[in-house]
Amino acid sequence: MKARDDSALETPVAALIDVVFQLIIFFVVTSAIDKDIVDESIRLAQAKHVAAIEKNDPRTVLINVAEDGGINIAMQPLNLVQLQQILSATRTQSGDSVPIVIRADGTALYRHVDGAMQAVGKAGLYRVQLSAVATGDAKPATR
Amino acid sequence: MGKRRISSEALAIPMSSMIDVTFLLLIYFIVTKREEIPEAHLAVNLPSPNAHATKVDEKPNLLEIEVHPGQFYLKKTPQTLPQLEAMLAKLAAYDPDQTVIIKTSLKAQTQELVQVLDLCKGLNLTKLNVMTLK
Repeated sequence: MKARDDSALETPVAALIDVVFQLIIFFVVTSAIDKDIVDESIRLAQAKHVAAIEKNDPRTVLINVAEDGGINIAMQPLNLVQLQQILSATRTQSGDSVPIVIRADGTALYRHVDGAMQAVGKAGLYRVQLSAVATGDAKPATR
Repeated sequence: MGKRRISSEALAIPMSSMIDVTFLLLIYFIVTKREEIPEAHLAVNLPSPNAHATKVDEKPNLLEIEVHPGQFYLKKTPQTLPQLEAMLAKLAAYDPDQTVIIKTSLKAQTQELVQVLDLCKGLNLTKLNVMTLK
């Protein structure tokens, strides 16, 4: 009787590992993009009466204002002129009702936020919101 | 002629590499896990480009709050944050439709403006306008 080849009984794991590694790479790449948009060095002010936002308008533009007044969009540092140019382009592309969320550090001076708001106004956009950490128990809102 | 026994070791699925990958995945997710911070958005009204100036005969009911570094003023009277909250609660109960103008000093911190906006939202004062105090 012919001897049975034992190696033929093994499950082929190599392809499975390939898929798992592809998954890992996918998660690494996509999570890096997500982190770029939200500047985690910014410590937002706290709001206890306002509900947390559950769903954002996909068109929303996030402007980060750091403690030292540095402005960035998706971690791309910008001066006020560049900011206004980007916002003007956004307005041309998506209309003037595009929501602008200013994520300013709580300890940043208002003049830095004012500069960003002036750029927003000059670009012809008017839906401006200031971001804060919702610390209260108000019900979450969808916008 | 006797049958040859198949070794039970050879039948086992090689799990070691799969476990390695699973542990890698586990470590990756533990390391990259970040706590979701619930963010709230406080609307700041800028004049709409489509809005046309309208003549109003009667004087609108305006409530003026000034935000200075470490100090708040309601109708030019200095207030602490709890005092401002108490006064605003009374005024909001009297007329929730009144327009609130928040004049903010350029030297004030953003959190001081956010505190006032938060108070107004909590009292259902929705007609808020933020101006810069120069």
